[in-house]
Amino acid sequence: MRLDGIYVVAKREYLQRIKTKGFWLGTLILPLFAAAMTVVPGLLITKTQASQTIVIVDETGQVGRELMARLAARDGETPKGGDKRGMGMDESRMARFDAKLQKPAADRAAQRADLDRRVREKEIDAWAWIGRGVYQEAPVEYHARSVSNIFTQDALEDDLSWVVRRARLEEAGIDPQRVDEMNRRVRLKTERVSEEGSRAEGGFGGMLFAMVLFFILYISILMWGQQIMNGVLEEKGSRVIEVVLSAIRPFELMMGKLIGICLVGLTQITIWLGTLGVLTAPGILASMAFMPKGATLPTLTFGMAFHFGLLFILGFFAFATIYAAIGASFNNLQEAQQAASVAIIFVIVPALVLYPVMNDPNSTMSVVLSLIPLFTPLLMPLRIAIEMPPLWQLLLAYALTLGFVWGMVWLCARIYRVGILMYGKKPTFQEIVRWVRYA
Amino acid sequence: MAPTLEVRDVRKSYGDFVAVGGVSMAVPAGSIFGLLGPNGAGKTTTIRMIMDIIAPDTGEVLIFGHPRSREDLRRIGYLPEERGLYRKMTVTEQLLFLGEIRGLKKATLLPKIQHWLERVDLGRWAKSKIEELSKGMQQKVQLIGTVLHEPDLLILDEPFSGLDPINQELFRELLVEYRDQGKSVVLSTHGMELAERMCDHICLISRGRTVLDGELREIKRRVGGNSYRLRAEGDLDRLRALPEVEQAIEHNGVVKLLLRPDAEGPDTLRRMVEFLRVHEFRSEEAELEQIFMNAVRDAA
Repeated sequence: MRLDGIYVVAKREYLQRIKTKGFWLGTLILPLFAAAMTVVPGLLITKTQASQTIVIVDETGQVGRELMARLAARDGETPKGGDKRGMGMDESRMARFDAKLQKPAADRAAQRADLDRRVREKEIDAWAWIGRGVYQEAPVEYHARSVSNIFTQDALEDDLSWVVRRARLEEAGIDPQRVDEMNRRVRLKTERVSEEGSRAEGGFGGMLFAMVLFFILYISILMWGQQIMNGVLEEKGSRVIEVVLSAIRPFELMMGKLIGICLVGLTQITIWLGTLGVLTAPGILASMAFMPKGATLPTLTFGMAFHFGLLFILGFFAFATIYAAIGASFNNLQEAQQAASVAIIFVIVPALVLYPVMNDPNSTMSVVLSLIPLFTPLLMPLRIAIEMPPLWQLLLAYALTLGFVWGMVWLCARIYRVGILMYGKKPTFQEIVRWVRYA
Repeated sequence: MAPTLEVRDVRKSYGDFVAVGGVSMAVPAGSIFGLLGPNGAGKTTTIRMIMDIIAPDTGEVLIFGHPRSREDLRRIGYLPEERGLYRKMTVTEQLLFLGEIRGLKKATLLPKIQHWLERVDLGRWAKSKIEELSKGMQQKVQLIGTVLHEPDLLILDEPFSGLDPINQELFRELLVEYRDQGKSVVLSTHGMELAERMCDHICLISRGRTVLDGELREIKRRVGGNSYRLRAEGDLDRLRALPEVEQAIEHNGVVKLLLRPDAEGPDTLRRMVEFLRVHEFRSEEAELEQIFMNAVRDAA
């Protein structure tokens, strides 16, 4: 085997692909989309903050006043004891009100008619009538030109409920503050027992990282699998292959091609992760500032990061070989795509065993599954995150996955060698097996 | 001196289909060797077996006097029948790639690429993408890619197909030049006229088997017969009575004269001038095309 042959082919694949407009378009769209996703909602909030002008008529003499304070607080700080408004995303948070309080007039019918007129003449957007029965079951009337603005109505309903609930509690002689305190959730403080002794840890941290890795790999494979398949197929179409095969072995060509295309994929993923890191860093730093005392960040040791990185790259290659084999076996994109849809099984199956492994990472089943080449890159990071497996298992997993990649490239090269010289009809499975023997 | 390339009874079958059922040939150093045969005769499969793209079922391929190795293959310039270029690469990038996969360094390749592009009048296209070139220009790039690493043996599968007469002449000149440097050229073709003009040796295959093999001049004589064209006045019956004359057929004042294979034309001429007034007497070789047609028919 000539390494320089592999290098020349990989270099060509990498440089030719990275120079295309398509690559940069594909690479930049996701970060731009992510940036848009972080910026646009904020912009939307400020844009839709145009407040609703509302007149509130209060018969109770108490609810209206407190509601006014509550609605006014929407522009600034979260009111103390607020139950729903907080850090979470809630569309009704976008609603703002410019509210005016009115006492009920002696002639209520005339007052109602006047409020309706003001709505029609667009002097105000809506009016609400709080009857005395509000402490019991009676609803609050809401009259507006449009009643389809559900977020605004939801916001008004939330604030009304909050005010009335407190009033009901106070009337029953219960301190609302105490109720809030008593309703607080109880949380688990997780500690991992390891060789170095117990240490406090955000137990979910490592796992979260492994899960993120799992899904990035999953998405990358789905996105890049097709590219790899096309890359292998296109070589047949270009008909340069015979000249190339007269200078280097099919294995070298296939390995070079795979390395080249995979490196393009990894370059793209690195750019994405880098951009996402830059975009999310301010958010992470900000949330760190709000973290309660004593809480620890998810720990990611150097060892974990090393294994995660290596497993990711190996995983990418392992799955790529499946798509390369399909590309090698078929004559045109259409036929190959049909087969590729079957290949997705190889990506889905590891996802199915994800939860049993997470639940008991050291069970015989988990150990065996995590050693199967196509499962290793997805399951081993999870096991590492939960508890570092014994070294022999890691080494065996690496060896098996590498062996798998090697074997698959070898197989692809055999199929390819004969496949490129066959034109026309779609090969049967038996034919492909025969090609492997003939080559 | 060992032949540059020797093929010994190579065979290749796909299931029941026999693609090549026994081809042997020897390509002498410093020759242009024509691998001839009708479509589907097995020329391309034979060449692919020589190039180790397909493994033969049986038989042997010797290059430069010993069983073929990967290193030997790098000393061959190969232009396949199904040839293409990477459309998105520039001419220079493409040629660099073709040189680099044969182990040459960029620094060595660049001046050579420059030289060859100038030679075939493509100098100003060096930075153009392949897809911007005409078909003829692309064929020139392919040829440069074949000779860039200065191989000792060129194997060209149907090199002239699709070439216009000007480019055909350019290709022909380059190949003759190559031969004159003592290197060997194998070209597969079914274009008999060009093969006749260029080849020193031929191997004719039909239905996957060698039917004729050897030096072209000798084959012509052996297969085509010892025939002459004669224009003369006088007693033709006296001519027909000469012992070495097998046949003398007159048509429109031109006599087609067929002598016995061992007879020498000049001797007969000396004898016939005694009783004929000879205006023209010249050897009339059988045309390769006729030999080809006859051989293929006989093989069938």
